[in-house]
Amino acid sequence: MTVAAGAERQAPWYVAFPVHLVLAAGGAFFVLPLVWMFATSLKPLDQTMKYPEGVASALFGIGRTAVIDGVRRAVTLEREVRPSSENRVYIVRAAEGFAAGEMFLPFGPETWRRYPVFNKQELARMEAQVAPGTKLLADDRNRFDPEKGVLALCSGRAVRAELVREVRPDPAGETLWLVREWRPEDTDAKEVGSTAGDISRAWEVLPEREIGRTIREIPQNYPAALRRVRFWRSLANTLFLCAMTVAGAVVSSVLVAYGFAFVEFKGRTALFAVTLATMMIPFPVVMIPVYLLYRNLGWVGSLKPLWVTSWFGNAFFIFLLRQFFLGLPKDLLDAARIDGCSELETLWHVVVPLSRPAIAMVALFTFLGTWKDFMGPLIYLNHPSQFTLSLSLQAFASEHGGTPWHLLMAASTVFSLPLIVLFFATMKTFIRGVAMTGMKG
Amino acid sequence: MRAELRRTLVGYGFVLPWLVALGLFIGYPFIAGFYFSFCDYPPLRDPLFTGLDNYAELLGDRSFHRAMGVTLIYAAVAIPLGMVFALTLAMLLNARIRGQSIYRVIFYLPHLVPTVAVAILWLWIFNPKFGLLNLVLSGLLGAMDAWAGLFFDVRAALERGNPFHLGSLALPCAAALAFVAFGPPARRLGLGRRAETRLRLGAGACLAIAGVPFLHTAACWLFPADMVKLHSPGWLSDGTPLPACVSFAPSWALWALIVMSMWGVGQMAVIYLAKLQDVPVELYEAAEIDGANWWQKTWHVTLPMISPVILFNAVMAIIGTFQVFTEPYIMTGGGPEDKTRFVAMFVYDQAFQYQRVGYASAVAWVLFLVIVALTLGALRISRGHVYYEGK
Repeated sequence: MTVAAGAERQAPWYVAFPVHLVLAAGGAFFVLPLVWMFATSLKPLDQTMKYPEGVASALFGIGRTAVIDGVRRAVTLEREVRPSSENRVYIVRAAEGFAAGEMFLPFGPETWRRYPVFNKQELARMEAQVAPGTKLLADDRNRFDPEKGVLALCSGRAVRAELVREVRPDPAGETLWLVREWRPEDTDAKEVGSTAGDISRAWEVLPEREIGRTIREIPQNYPAALRRVRFWRSLANTLFLCAMTVAGAVVSSVLVAYGFAFVEFKGRTALFAVTLATMMIPFPVVMIPVYLLYRNLGWVGSLKPLWVTSWFGNAFFIFLLRQFFLGLPKDLLDAARIDGCSELETLWHVVVPLSRPAIAMVALFTFLGTWKDFMGPLIYLNHPSQFTLSLSLQAFASEHGGTPWHLLMAASTVFSLPLIVLFFATMKTFIRGVAMTGMKG
Repeated sequence: MRAELRRTLVGYGFVLPWLVALGLFIGYPFIAGFYFSFCDYPPLRDPLFTGLDNYAELLGDRSFHRAMGVTLIYAAVAIPLGMVFALTLAMLLNARIRGQSIYRVIFYLPHLVPTVAVAILWLWIFNPKFGLLNLVLSGLLGAMDAWAGLFFDVRAALERGNPFHLGSLALPCAAALAFVAFGPPARRLGLGRRAETRLRLGAGACLAIAGVPFLHTAACWLFPADMVKLHSPGWLSDGTPLPACVSFAPSWALWALIVMSMWGVGQMAVIYLAKLQDVPVELYEAAEIDGANWWQKTWHVTLPMISPVILFNAVMAIIGTFQVFTEPYIMTGGGPEDKTRFVAMFVYDQAFQYQRVGYASAVAWVLFLVIVALTLGALRISRGHVYYEGK
């Protein structure tokens, strides 16, 4: 806090400590949302829609693992199994095929109610055939008679089956759980196609102590999310727009700023004042007539309205560049002129090489503005094949009313990442540019 | 003479693109919009001049009044809050401590996230059931309740009962501590500069730690309904005002948007920071020799030196805030009950949903006039307060 004292001295600890404390608290406010975005993007859907049990599960999806058939797998807890002397539970292997709908599924209806996203899959499974040799859970609903080797199904039919193992109450008094192999694609309703034969997905009945916990991250959210926002198509559109606007803004703003800075012509001061004044006009005021203008040209529904404007200069960049140009050493320009350079040659050979940082800044800010722009594309684009990333993301969000949070966050992460990378790559130019913005005072 | 003519031609040659833009993309729409605002302009037909009809309709349009009201309230809260927050942040970021470059990056990062992504991210954060904010909030409130319970009876406060019990004796103790550390005794003790600073910071920390439960209990006592709701607010879906007893106060949904806008002040803070670093050290040294304390240095040196940037940021904030569109459009769609339907959104709806170009133009023009008036007001107020170096 003490800006005071000798130039480079560090603040004493009793000042530094509270400042660190406050900055860290503030930093949490600024960084946690981003962490949350990334964390959500790696969670399975069911984990996002669950009240988190603690910090770990708030930030990461909590999954479970267990050893089934000698392999450690990611599993979900399907339901509690309570064997007793009256209610015997067996794991059996069916000797003949039958329809899955005929038996009471080991993953009972309450499971489906808990995970409504599985509805489609459940339906598919009801049609599925249980192949001979499939492992099944026999309990008080699908009764198994070990002496006769007969499994009485829910439907009333009886099929032959052989005993794999008898499930006894856990001696330690722990709850037994039916665990089922879990795959990342289970989390996305739309991605689950027909998994008719899936009844054979590995499962086991295990006491709680044999079920481990893990952090469950599923990078598979990313491909799913990108498919939904038509990522590559939108990216191509966005990049095309960025390229056109950056080129346009740089070329036009440099030319115009040069005119304002170095060529003395009648009406220059007045024109420049007008230029500054236009910065105050809000977008909604000019939005409607410009839209009508482009509609008359027949450009609405194409990308043209979004980049053509930038080729005619931008008041703010013209101002910034002019200020920068005026700070350049006059002698160099005069020398160039004495050597017989035309204005354009002077611009190209003297001014441009000296103003690289300022030009880079203009390019950077234009890129940023185009990448982030939402209202422009919203007004001018009407077909998904032309959508920019902003618009695709918004369309994806609104079409689902915001339920698949894991996918939305994955898409948002991908959408934001290029700008963050760009920022770190060009930090110096960037910070200097932002600082210069305010220097006009 | 010919040389001058030539120079003028060359000059206009250079600024030609900008002249086109000025005419085609700024001047024409500006004037055309003004003209349309006096017209009935149905889609696919020519505008029909109707005089002041649109403006007359504006005066009686309740939904426009609501939109304007929401925008003004939002601006009245978000702009000052953002300015103070950004300035505080910049001053903290300017302190001479280790790790500043990391902090600076952290505070700037949110500005890099595209607006649409920000809106969707915060929609998720504000989720009443599973969102991060309510998660953190319930944790913080729980901790605060426990801590406050040592001093005050929070439950009684919520029922508007007497919140004081034996632990509230801490209150006079805190007052005494504040008096010793910040009042006349501190000066009389003759501790010397450094010891005095330490005493004050220490006392300040104690008071802050003890003050949190006090403020919390006071809030529970004054606004019991709000504090109960604070345990799991509905945020964007809640259109009731906060605090509930002030009918024109921002709704919970609007507060949510305000909180979200605070997340983007990094840009403003960096602009402040650049100017803060520009303040010559000699000025502080001179002030110190004159015996100024931290507060006096801030008030008499720092603030005047950065006043042009404060003005610049204020004007930028005014222009930006009155055009807020993307966030409410994506996050609430204007709801609940139009409590987040801003003017920019109203213009968009009128122009592109209901195809009422004339009326939309009139609204846009009113918005423009409001912005101009406020900007001129800011410039007016700043006159005599803003210090321009070397002018």
